[in-house]
Amino acid sequence: MTRKATKTTKHSGTERRKRGPVDPVIAEIVRNGVMAVTEEMKTNLMRTAYNMIIYEALDFTVGLFTPEGETVSIGIGLPMFIRGMAETVKAKIRHFGRDGVRPGDIYVTNDAYITGSHLNHVTLTLPIFDKGVLVAFSCCMAHWIDIGGTLGGMTTDIFSEGLQIPILKYQDRGKVNEDLVEIIRQNVRIPNRALGDLRAQVTAVKTGERRFLELIARYGRDEVAAAIAAIMDRSEAVARAHTKSIPDGVYEAESFMDDDGVAIGKPIPIRVRVEVKGEEMTIDLTEVSRQVRGFYNSGITTGHACAQVAYKCLTSPTDYPINDGSFRSLKTIVPPGRIISATRPAPMRWWMTFPMTIVDTVFKALAPAIPDRVIAGHHADLLVAQFHGFNPKTSEFFMGNFGPLGGGWGAKRTEDGVSGTVAINDGDTHNSPNEQIEAKFPLVVERYALVPDSGGPGRHRGGLGVERVVRARTDITLNTQIERAHCRPWGLAGGRDGKGNSVALRFGTHWKTDFPNAKVLVAQIKAGDAFRLRSGGGGGYGSPLDRPVDDVRNDVRQGYVSVHEAAVFYGVVIDGDTFKVNEGATTMLRARE
Amino acid sequence: MTSNQSRSAAGQPNLRLAADIGGTFTDVAAFDAATGKLRLGKALSTPRHLVEGITAGVEKAGVTYADAGLFLHGSTVAINTILERTGARTALIITEGFRDIYEIGRINRPDAYNLFFKKHVPLVERALRFEVRERILADGGIDIPLDESEIAALGKRLDMLGIEAAAILFLNCYRNAHHEARAKALIEASHPAMFVSASHELSQEYREFERCSTVVANAYIGPKVRGYLGEISKHIQAAGFRGSFLVVQSTGGLYEAEQAKSHCIRMLESGPAAGVIGAKALCRALALDNAIAFDMGGTTAKAGVIYKGEPLTTGAALIGGYERALPIQIAMMDIFEVGTGGGSIARLEEGALRVGPQSAGAQPGPACYGLGGAEPTVTDANLVLGRISADRFLGGEMQLDVAAAHAALKTHVAEPLGMSLTAAADGILRIAATTMSYAVKRVTVERGLDAGDFALVAYGGAGPLHAVHVARDIGIRRVIIPKAPGVFSAFGMLYADLRYDYVRTWPTRLDDASFDDFARIYSELEDQGRRAVAAASMTPGKVTINRAADMRYVGQEHAVTVDLPMQVFEEQDRAAIKRHFDDMHLLRYGTSAPAERAEIVSLRTTVTGIMPKPVPEEIASGGAAPPKAARTGKRPVYFEGHGFVDTRLFARDALTAGNRIKGPALIEEHASTTVLMPGAALEVDRFGNLDIAVGKGRS
Repeated sequence: MTRKATKTTKHSGTERRKRGPVDPVIAEIVRNGVMAVTEEMKTNLMRTAYNMIIYEALDFTVGLFTPEGETVSIGIGLPMFIRGMAETVKAKIRHFGRDGVRPGDIYVTNDAYITGSHLNHVTLTLPIFDKGVLVAFSCCMAHWIDIGGTLGGMTTDIFSEGLQIPILKYQDRGKVNEDLVEIIRQNVRIPNRALGDLRAQVTAVKTGERRFLELIARYGRDEVAAAIAAIMDRSEAVARAHTKSIPDGVYEAESFMDDDGVAIGKPIPIRVRVEVKGEEMTIDLTEVSRQVRGFYNSGITTGHACAQVAYKCLTSPTDYPINDGSFRSLKTIVPPGRIISATRPAPMRWWMTFPMTIVDTVFKALAPAIPDRVIAGHHADLLVAQFHGFNPKTSEFFMGNFGPLGGGWGAKRTEDGVSGTVAINDGDTHNSPNEQIEAKFPLVVERYALVPDSGGPGRHRGGLGVERVVRARTDITLNTQIERAHCRPWGLAGGRDGKGNSVALRFGTHWKTDFPNAKVLVAQIKAGDAFRLRSGGGGGYGSPLDRPVDDVRNDVRQGYVSVHEAAVFYGVVIDGDTFKVNEGATTMLRARE
Repeated sequence: MTSNQSRSAAGQPNLRLAADIGGTFTDVAAFDAATGKLRLGKALSTPRHLVEGITAGVEKAGVTYADAGLFLHGSTVAINTILERTGARTALIITEGFRDIYEIGRINRPDAYNLFFKKHVPLVERALRFEVRERILADGGIDIPLDESEIAALGKRLDMLGIEAAAILFLNCYRNAHHEARAKALIEASHPAMFVSASHELSQEYREFERCSTVVANAYIGPKVRGYLGEISKHIQAAGFRGSFLVVQSTGGLYEAEQAKSHCIRMLESGPAAGVIGAKALCRALALDNAIAFDMGGTTAKAGVIYKGEPLTTGAALIGGYERALPIQIAMMDIFEVGTGGGSIARLEEGALRVGPQSAGAQPGPACYGLGGAEPTVTDANLVLGRISADRFLGGEMQLDVAAAHAALKTHVAEPLGMSLTAAADGILRIAATTMSYAVKRVTVERGLDAGDFALVAYGGAGPLHAVHVARDIGIRRVIIPKAPGVFSAFGMLYADLRYDYVRTWPTRLDDASFDDFARIYSELEDQGRRAVAAASMTPGKVTINRAADMRYVGQEHAVTVDLPMQVFEEQDRAAIKRHFDDMHLLRYGTSAPAERAEIVSLRTTVTGIMPKPVPEEIASGGAAPPKAARTGKRPVYFEGHGFVDTRLFARDALTAGNRIKGPALIEEHASTTVLMPGAALEVDRFGNLDIAVGKGRS
């Protein structure tokens, strides 16, 4: 089945109906206005949320949508959720019908096959009415720390992953659905947090409603609609112009995931095909692996999101607000039943990992065509550790999430890769301060540091990965679901690969590192034992022998590259104490290659 | 500006001098307590020898250092040293295993789709970040004791590397500062000339990256700020000054120059903070509770908030753009800044009209400066619409090139968009106004306040030009343009108090918190403050204490700062603490949960030494009709919906109290012009402020 952007363009067709010329001043004021609305929604959600993932890690997305469900503006949040809310809004419109959407309603769902992601992503949608006319939707997705289901370990179907909330009315014409609230209360482990987060989401969508209506009151309903249409048309024009600058052709690349966590050691193939023709691009994900047994699947919405994220990065990375106009020149082919278009009851708890590698693989495919605009491979995993246990003093149950860790990003044709930064699934996501974690949980962080030599050597070096060593002060159960231990972040144009992601456990004084992958499930860590997560470095770009000697010397002086690897990969011989370069030996080494 | 007095105030020990050094100008305000006279001076800043700019400003104000009992100072030296990266060769000494936290930061990538994103650049390179074996736990216990011989060995390395300043950050020092204090003492003993700063002295709040960035910034700017303050001190003493030398902090409070030499980072945003203090003083004089202090200059607009008579402060700020910012975790005035100013460039980006954040700055400046700027700016739009005068800019010191402004607007905006010149210029101003209105709204929204209920106090060179427009966009009904809006920060300093802020993270459930512990922690912090006040060379009238706590519901992550009256501690009223928290939560977020338990994250306290304040000077009063001398003519000015209107002009200096003017009108003064739009009306109050009823009308 070929699902191209037709559905999208059909809706926008109604928007593109005849309209007079748009005042460029009003268009710019409305553009700033809708961004300010989503920014304020974000502020209010962040400040009222109960869980750290929302507040500190910013694992949420807020947005405004047209009455057809097209994205008008989404606040910076999770890039990989770029499509999730629009599809959810559209599904809700279909579910209730245009006539069933009424003032005072707020809809809720966490249906993984609609949002494309895991059940933790609870999505609230509020239809905005101006004098009885539906003018927009305000929407907010946020990650709840717990949605029920099995605690840790691998899941092999959606039922074990927690409470499934179909599309329902959380609020029906102003009246809250208390039955639903009670069902939630009974199904999650920490109800006050879940319901606190739910209240925060309600605040966010109501903020969106209030502020959008203010915009309409000031500039007029039709004027605002026309301005929004013009903003989207302009984003389309930007994307088309940048696509046109890519040479026509078919570009392909492949990579793989380590395994699905069930069939250990069996690689999962990722193949992408990109066709560029004039102003349009087709990203074909047909050859991506079939859905898998372990919880790494995601829904078709995420298949589209993979293509959109890659496309936006390449064609209009700094065009704001993020809106659906940017994707009219993109076609995505995603047949059902793939890891990014999985069908019920495929497990999806760790939905976000595989798509990151798919995005990276699209960049890899296009590297020969647009070497200036792509990036070498990155660590492509959030490197999260989940733990739970009982507080020795209070006997209270605790559970937490250590991460994301940050890791190395790929080098570019003109720049080194960036070190210690969150993977492409996330954007303005923060790590957790170690002191905050230690104040809250019985853990001691022994080390949070860059990993020397983890960046792929190249004319431009890949960014460095990060490691965190954590000692338990009481017995805990640990889960990591980390990928890309074996498929290392690749280099481009002669650049070398970075180091892969890894995990290790310390029992007593012995480090256990011989895991078949980086997935440690339900590991029992005793008080005094420790675990280590290490993120990979980015791939290098261009031959390391072309890296200026001074740059290599500085890398060694700073400790980013060891004396050993400076010689082996870069052909630069440096004294580790004085940082003096042995010119003769260097010339010889570099000439020999 | 008040004209210089022929009779000097020689022999008056109560003269207060305030000097605010900005990028372009150095402003001086002098208040004579004996005569109640306020004098002002403005001189060009002299980047190489900033002292010369101050002296020129003092001369322009017609006073001498010898007459002054108090010298108050705000400066951009600290912030510029960071932004321009001209600080000392600095080392970071940090807990083993953590030297990279400063470089890793918070790992976020706000520019989420940009593969060419950049991170913050640390002020200390990795090679100069040294780890020390020691570890304090989150409960204050010692996991690994400090090895003093390691510090001694490290000291020798610092010498070899030519280190001028050292920052110390040990994990969890907020619970136990012993290791940090010991390490600092050891380094200072062996390196008496080195600038050494330990993180717990600046912040006892958790979040190691933010605290690390703070202490490094302090060390990095330390030697330069110390030298700078020393130079000023020497210079003014040589000129006969015998009084107290106090510096403005980012909170708007004052501290002793000697204290500023070690807690340098606290003077980071002294100028902008002083402006908000000025707005607070103005509010007090006018019996206004709530106001927004709106400061618009050449490159940015800034907004601070006065709520219930007091400026809102924050516990942390980011230096530099959000994407690449270095955090500073100390108490500061909560000021939001947006890249819109007179120099903001209007340009087309893929067919859309954008205003700023690129700025033409002072060089080449707006097209109308005739210094080579070809792109149209906000100032050019104002000129084209007749809102500023080509031959009265800066009191006529600078002739503006109208033709150049026209050409720039026409070529870059009007023609490509098929708009008329005036529509293009007006559009630029409207976009600029909405952008600024969002900035203003943002500072209030984050606090759960409605900006529409506030008055707007507008200053800075460009503030009065746009204030009515911005107010209408926000829904604000009253605008006040203070006297001499161009030197408002210097004026504000005269109203500052001695102030010391402390914070300590103390994660505790409210139900479990003992009042003995409250008393112990608060008094430890407050004793430091009382000692600092006592040590100040200027004796304040009285000392006040303001306590607060960062609190949250159990399970929640983010905490809010709740002001707690002393009474709740005296009466040991736990329920009242909870009520204050519930109320604050309701105000900021629209919800509260009185039935849920709360916990404390950090305790905050502010020790203030109240200084005597100048009594605002009143101007001569007159009738409703402005005197003849104030009516300086008419010129055509464009207003949306009205077209060009022959608009009356007034000279601000000649207006008298009680004068009333209806818009459209322009009120011109040396460094600024107030635009009174159609529908707006002003009255000159007894202090010479322009009190504007914004009225209805298109903006």
